[in-house]
Amino acid sequence: MTREAVLEENAILQEKQIARKRMKNPLRKRLLREVKEDAGKYVVIFILLVLSIGFVSGFLVAGSSMIKAYDDSFDRYIIENGNFRTEEPLSKAQKESIERKGVSVYENFYVEKEFDNDTKLRIFGERNEIDKVCVMDGRLPEKELEIAIDRMYADNNNLTVGDTLTHDGDTYEIAGLVALSDYSALFYSNNDMMFDASAFGVAVVSADQFSKYKEDDLHYNYSWLYDDEPEDEIAEKEASDELLEKLTATTDLENFIPRYVNQSIRFTGEDIESDKAMMEVLLYIIIVIIAFVFGITINNTIHKEANVIGTLRASGYTINELIVHYMTMPLIVTIISAIIGNILGYTVFKETCVDMYYGSYSLPTYVTIWNGEAFFKTTLIPIFIMVAVTYFILRRKLSISPLKLIRRDLSGKNQKHAIKLSRKIGFFERFRIRILIQNKSSYITLFAGLFFANVLLFFGMMLPPLLVHFQDTVTDSMLAKYTYLLQIPAGAVDSDNEISSMFSYITLRGKINTNNKDAEKFSAYTLKTTGENGARVEEITLYGVEENSRYIHADFDDKTVLVSSAYADKYDLKKDDVITLKEPYEDTYYGFKVTGVYDYDGGVSVFMSKEHLNKVLGYDEEFFAGYFSDSEITDIDSKYIGTVIDEEALTRVSRQLMISMGHLMYMVDGFSVLLFIVLMYLLSKLIIERNAQSISMVKILGYSKKEIALLYIVPTALVVVVSLLISYLLLSHVMVWIFREMLKMMMSGWLVIWLDPKVYVQMFLLGTITYAVVAVIEYFRIGRIPMSDALKNVE
Amino acid sequence: MQLRLSNIRKSFGEGSSHVEVLKDINLEVEKGEFVVLLGPSGSGKSTLLNIIGGIDSADSGKIIIRNKSMSDMDEKALTSYRREHLGYIFQMYNLIPNLTVRENIEVGAYLSKNPLDIDEIIETLGLKEHRNKVPSQLSGGQQQRCAIGRAIVKNPDILLCDEPTGALDYNTSKEILALIEEVNRKYGNTVIMVTHNDAIKNMADYVVKLRDGVIRKSYRNEAKIKAAELDW
Repeated sequence: MTREAVLEENAILQEKQIARKRMKNPLRKRLLREVKEDAGKYVVIFILLVLSIGFVSGFLVAGSSMIKAYDDSFDRYIIENGNFRTEEPLSKAQKESIERKGVSVYENFYVEKEFDNDTKLRIFGERNEIDKVCVMDGRLPEKELEIAIDRMYADNNNLTVGDTLTHDGDTYEIAGLVALSDYSALFYSNNDMMFDASAFGVAVVSADQFSKYKEDDLHYNYSWLYDDEPEDEIAEKEASDELLEKLTATTDLENFIPRYVNQSIRFTGEDIESDKAMMEVLLYIIIVIIAFVFGITINNTIHKEANVIGTLRASGYTINELIVHYMTMPLIVTIISAIIGNILGYTVFKETCVDMYYGSYSLPTYVTIWNGEAFFKTTLIPIFIMVAVTYFILRRKLSISPLKLIRRDLSGKNQKHAIKLSRKIGFFERFRIRILIQNKSSYITLFAGLFFANVLLFFGMMLPPLLVHFQDTVTDSMLAKYTYLLQIPAGAVDSDNEISSMFSYITLRGKINTNNKDAEKFSAYTLKTTGENGARVEEITLYGVEENSRYIHADFDDKTVLVSSAYADKYDLKKDDVITLKEPYEDTYYGFKVTGVYDYDGGVSVFMSKEHLNKVLGYDEEFFAGYFSDSEITDIDSKYIGTVIDEEALTRVSRQLMISMGHLMYMVDGFSVLLFIVLMYLLSKLIIERNAQSISMVKILGYSKKEIALLYIVPTALVVVVSLLISYLLLSHVMVWIFREMLKMMMSGWLVIWLDPKVYVQMFLLGTITYAVVAVIEYFRIGRIPMSDALKNVE
Repeated sequence: MQLRLSNIRKSFGEGSSHVEVLKDINLEVEKGEFVVLLGPSGSGKSTLLNIIGGIDSADSGKIIIRNKSMSDMDEKALTSYRREHLGYIFQMYNLIPNLTVRENIEVGAYLSKNPLDIDEIIETLGLKEHRNKVPSQLSGGQQQRCAIGRAIVKNPDILLCDEPTGALDYNTSKEILALIEEVNRKYGNTVIMVTHNDAIKNMADYVVKLRDGVIRKSYRNEAKIKAAELDW
């Protein structure tokens, strides 16, 4: 051999060695082909993840951006620390005297006008120093008869910039749409249970226009700011108590609302937080479904490829090499889905959720902020679950000996004896029963999958009828057609100076009496729950009922304490249980032993005799705080009436929930239906895949496609129907529990949980129709299974 | 001595279903030998092959392979033993359905520090025309050739063949046997083949006849013939 030839041979050898060193695992070439071949599975996982991540993160991002905008608005728009209303305007001396208590007081006068569209607007003048205005569209009014109205009120009444509103012959042109920083929730009165942003709104006009209003129309409202902001609510309570004392000593107060009890300011923040509860419940359900889907898909892959895996293991591939191989594609799909899901979450879904918030609250403009919590919960957790579930199953299954894998013996347990079937059963039926028995693990998986999908469906479909039902039935158990809770002017009772308070109260009594024959006095007081075990702290109304009441049909002695049925249902209370309630912002606790339940779903309340309640509270025996009446009381000045609980007020909670959660629920609905369909498709597909070889074999034997479909699709259809029915049975218990926990986290008050029978029918129809569509797809899939499957792969 | 089996025993099941499949098997195989393990079904020949291949374990006895005891090997060491020294051919080809012929052979090559030239093997196996086809486009015989390629490309010391012609027709079986014979000759690997086909013993260097888990007869074949000359 010449020297050149030797050199050339060496060069070739070297090249080959380098090539070998560079050789990457050839299995990776399968990855893209695998996606193409099993597109259905990957599309399902992709849709599931993109929707879950996008939907939930969109919601959480919108929520946190809104909360940020809301929190920032306190400093940005200088939101008041409280407001009070006086009968007469404060004199300069009075104002200075009050301000010596460490506060700055600002005029925030308003008028209230009813417009020709049957709505009421509370109109303020220019706000330059406190409770500033955020202009959302257009501009602030500059001239007379120009007005800037609340953006949400405008939306609800189809008004926009340039439109007009008429009151008593005056036509105002809408110059802008605004958000008033102290009215993010449009409560007409702070005592209202809920707000109604269609019938009531707020607005601002120019200083010139405001000066035109008659003195008689003016409400002398003042807002204050503390010179030194109190550190917490308890300090705020102390500061406001001191201020109240000073105010009552200085002027005649009509109203006094410190910020920490002002629903118009506080409600929005609390409600956005509580919406998160619903979304988190949904997220937990989704996470279980994602884990389940990853589990069954990877399990199916191993079953499908067992012989290949066994051969590779026998050839010397390590378990880790194979784990990496089988995890790569699901991981890539998950990461791509996570990226797209997050993009959609921060764009499309966020916008939808933001619209939802703007549909409920009069929030100022917002800036989208990055939400680490959303990223963690919607992206990192699903990726972690994917990796953990896939790794765990792969590790377990790949540790099976190569020999067993080659023989496709993955169960670990062998069926020792075939179950005997009577020959009286027709051959086809026996064949189907055998298919059912042979595929029992797949069918159990199908049941579990349908159960999870139904949880989601239930969640989306049961909530709206629950609210509608509450709205329809709550009025059946009203205490009276009208329940009036009087507004005792601040300082009249709650004062440290007992003599002064006694005097004010006696003066007051003359003004709060009625000649209405239907009216029946009661005393009332509001305490708070203690929030044990992380439960939401909420207000409980205690009613003190007169003897032989015409409205509360129960016998009261001095120990009777009845809780409303809503209270009992929410907190699972029974006779002889002890409830502990707390004076708001004080360390005074009250314990009551429950002696029974009173049928009242309209509120979380406690009933006892008037004498009993007054004694507990240390009030005079004759003290009362309101009237039950079956006819309207017209002879008490409206300023002494705090809250009226009538049919409209009772249903306002559920109506507002429908408005504020309506969009969200329909989104959950659509989302859950879509997930139900993809899960059904995935699970049915897996069953046919598991049986591909047997199907191929019966094809060879000469069975027609129709006969094979009858053999393999009918048992699955049966399992689907039975699974649906069983899951409804289980879900009627599980969902009541889930709804209870969710509503407890979400809301004060209570909605009686009611599951609409019609929804079961709708869900069943949806389930069976979805399966019918999937069965048609499966029918064609059966047609595509080649006979060579059985010929080339006989074990 | 490349392989020595001493007093190998193996049983399955418990109680009334207890079956002893291998009873005190002793065997020695020289490097480069073509060994045929012959026996009817249930004789224990595949179990013996799987024990040699490290994918099944003996209840007792000792296996020394290249002067190393297999009983001292844990799962990791067994995997690396299979990776470095063994090639496996099964009755069923177990090819990866979405890889081409060439890629399926690459799957074997990847495991070796010093693999044979893939294209040369494809040529030897007569699969050049089919190298870019996937398994479903091939006949049974072609798939088995591909499986052989995957096993031999890593140039294993021992090639284990479990009924490699069991699913093939007469002519294709002979082609496959000729191929294994050529591999044995060309690359010098030890071949241990399990079969129930009595005719195949004639191409072996060493014949081991098993029945009911016992070696009934074993002998060096002095009158070895070529695979092409086999008839059954």
